[in-house]
Amino acid sequence: MEGVQRPGRLRAYARFLGLAFAVNVKSVLEYRVNFLVQFFGMMLNNAAFAAFWAVIIGRAGAVGGYGFTDVMFVWGLVSTSFGLAHVLAGNVRMLGKIVMEGGLDVYLLQPKDVMVNLLASRTVVSAWGDFVYGFIVLALLPGTDLARLALFCALALPGALIFAATFAAAESLAFFMGNAQAIASALSEFMLSFSLYPEGVFGKGYRWIMYSLVPSAFVAFVPLRIYRAMDWRFVPLLWAIALVYAALSYALFQAGLKRYESGNRVDTRI
Amino acid sequence: MAAIVADRLSKAFTLRIRPKGRFSTLRGLFRPERRIVQAVKGASFSVNEGEVVAFLGPNGAGKSTTIKMLTGILQPSGGTASVLGLDPSRDRKRLAWSIGSVFGQKSQLWFHLPPADSFRLLGAIYELEPALLASRSGALIERFNIGELMDVPVRKLSLGQRIRCEIAASLLHAPKLLFLDEPTIGLDVVARKEIRALIEELNKSDGVTVFLTSHDMGDIEKICKRAIIIHHGEVVVDESMKALKHRALARKYLGVRYAKPVDMDLPGLLPIKRTELSARYEVDTNEHSLAAVVKALASRGELEDITIEDEPLENVIATIYASRSGAEASLFGEREARHD
Repeated sequence: MEGVQRPGRLRAYARFLGLAFAVNVKSVLEYRVNFLVQFFGMMLNNAAFAAFWAVIIGRAGAVGGYGFTDVMFVWGLVSTSFGLAHVLAGNVRMLGKIVMEGGLDVYLLQPKDVMVNLLASRTVVSAWGDFVYGFIVLALLPGTDLARLALFCALALPGALIFAATFAAAESLAFFMGNAQAIASALSEFMLSFSLYPEGVFGKGYRWIMYSLVPSAFVAFVPLRIYRAMDWRFVPLLWAIALVYAALSYALFQAGLKRYESGNRVDTRI
Repeated sequence: MAAIVADRLSKAFTLRIRPKGRFSTLRGLFRPERRIVQAVKGASFSVNEGEVVAFLGPNGAGKSTTIKMLTGILQPSGGTASVLGLDPSRDRKRLAWSIGSVFGQKSQLWFHLPPADSFRLLGAIYELEPALLASRSGALIERFNIGELMDVPVRKLSLGQRIRCEIAASLLHAPKLLFLDEPTIGLDVVARKEIRALIEELNKSDGVTVFLTSHDMGDIEKICKRAIIIHHGEVVVDESMKALKHRALARKYLGVRYAKPVDMDLPGLLPIKRTELSARYEVDTNEHSLAAVVKALASRGELEDITIEDEPLENVIATIYASRSGAEASLFGEREARHD
């Protein structure tokens, strides 16, 4: 027994998260056709929006200070960040529902951090399409080289963390409100919509929100500025901001966990 | 040593209720009314290491809430709990290394994947070295006879097969204490028997302490040595199965069938059911001597058949459950104990 009971170390967590990811992938691949339809369906969906922007900018010129390349970069980056958040932390937008229906019990019975365990227990199939779409867009953009690819990745990772942290925080309101689905889904809609339009089209009041509560700025506008200038100096700052969002989200979840009321629904792990 | 000590453990939930009358929905939106529901009201009991204890109670009595407080899922509103020397509300993660749990209604296996994958993942969750995981899984697979099921997706397993895999999975980290919440729910007679035998063996050969809730009297009579009954959030009975069964023994059911119609009313004892030739009596042996009743009935006429049955344990428990309050159930307990 004693040999088994080692406190959670990073290596043990890495092994667990790696295996959880492998199991999630295997779980979605159980239904291959569904996976392929959702994967390619999402890329097609994203491509349709790209075509729409191409037409608008083709006719009206730059919109809100964004040219076509800028728009495509933001679409690609947001798509990859958003996709990565849902590929790795697939339960992020199920969290509120799981809390509401008493589904945390299984995670609370295991000797791992509840939030990490819960988020990593699922992958969203369509998000794989989003994730890959960003790289395809990047590959098609003029001037893409290895350095730009590296910067793209360095910007996408904190973006994914900010997406996951914000969505998880909104979903964690379920601990306090019982049902927070309306707020959570509104917030994720806002965050995505704000991210996908040029910063210049928004007024000052909106921008305050986008640099705080609905942090679209840190997943789209700021990364675009860094990318345009190819300036790595601000990348660590973006990482630091992402970590602050993650810490706040984690703290909110932990505070909520004390109020968790469980439930008696019949459950299976999908 | 005590594996579980619950001291005046209580849990209150806040319910939002919709006001009645005009514009109720609108009023409820702005000024919701709240009601406090006491699910568990100061439950105190203890379980020793190596014991197999039945934790009983009707639906809504507070069984699951108590188990959830003991495993660290829920934070108690009052009182304290100590499980394997740890406070579940503060040391949940540490406690999780040494307890196992099977909730018949909640699965810890991945629905779309074969149990083998869940076992591997649980091995990583409990940080078992691959070699140790392999030897533990091997032993459990053999003991639970689930070798053929390990590569079948869980969704394709029968309920009995799934529960066998669930219990095996909950034992991978060799817990000292096992919480089983209705493990045999929905199982057929054969599967139920198998699960009971496995639980019994775990306790006997590995010394695992078992805390079991079940609505199945068979589970309880076969496996448990002691029963704690919770009702309306209070512990109303805490005694050995032997004592509980003894309560049942105080009441006998006596059936007679005569060759010809006779007067079947005895002084102070009327049949609970009768036909022209037969009758059934409920005899409280504290009030009537069974031998005297049989003798009196035999003297009434020629007997064709006579049967004597013990009161099923289920009836004793049903009477406790049927009481309207915790105090009433306790009173019943005391009254029964006095009869003993």
